[in-house]
Amino acid sequence: MKDSCSSTSQLLERYFDRQATDEERSLVERHLPLCQTCHERLRVLEGLRKAIKTPVDEALKEETFPWVWEKIEREIRLGKKPSWQESVRSWIDLSPLFRKKVWIPAMAAAIILILVTSPLLFFKKDPSYSERSVVEYVESGVYNVMVYESENAKVTVIWLFEGPQNESPAS
Amino acid sequence: MKKWTPLLVFLFILFFAFPPMAPAQVQTRVRVIEASNVGSVIDPSLRDLHGQLGSLFRYTSYRLLRDERINLSPNQPASVPVHQGRSIEITQVGLQANMAELRVRIKRDGADLLNTQVRLSPGRTVLIGGPKHGEGVVILALSASF
Repeated sequence: MKDSCSSTSQLLERYFDRQATDEERSLVERHLPLCQTCHERLRVLEGLRKAIKTPVDEALKEETFPWVWEKIEREIRLGKKPSWQESVRSWIDLSPLFRKKVWIPAMAAAIILILVTSPLLFFKKDPSYSERSVVEYVESGVYNVMVYESENAKVTVIWLFEGPQNESPAS
Repeated sequence: MKKWTPLLVFLFILFFAFPPMAPAQVQTRVRVIEASNVGSVIDPSLRDLHGQLGSLFRYTSYRLLRDERINLSPNQPASVPVHQGRSIEITQVGLQANMAELRVRIKRDGADLLNTQVRLSPGRTVLIGGPKHGEGVVILALSASF
């Protein structure tokens, strides 16, 4: 029994610190109900832990670590503000848009297209009368011709008058 | 997907920079009408033109002699017989988004009686009339859709 107590007392601290193996833990737990001495030693260890841990926990609860925030704020204040050139450069470096080289020809093509087509899109002049007219030209060697264009009725009339130069009376 | 993005952007710009191409064919309708003051008959087929005809001419009777629909390809003349040995030859010479340019020739025995070029937009009608026919005159109504 003494041997067992001697070997168990060596394991007691490892057991208390939860570092014992399963076998060692089993050995200690079998021994403790039988040995008052070891049982007392374990209670002493638990009392020691409580005596140390309680004030530390209370101190931690009350502590807000103001010095940590002071240090962070000091670091921020001391941090150098980048110039606008550095800001632009960093933005370009970070922007995935400009990292892709394929965007450059695409953007160039878009700009060229806009430049070429914008005069057509935005600077259309009003069509002249001849451009608006339905009848572009009318020729007849046989009839006198009158053209009447009605915008409201959406109708255009080409009227042929039989004059002195009329077609031969074959009709 | 990312590698196709520039191509899609380029195509998107192209689509808006250049309007869609107009269809190549123009459907033209040629109606040959006899207008006279004999009776007061309006051909039911001319109901859509009745308002225009009534506001422009003082005839009391309009009779449909011929109604032809022709699909005109660019620069391909199409001919329709009109009346008394005359024919009308129509050629599509140009086409924009909302306007077709048509060359119109009225011929008799191969000789031009009239040569004109008109711009027709959908919904617009060109009336060519005047030559005597029976108790009245003949009027050609041209319209186009595309």
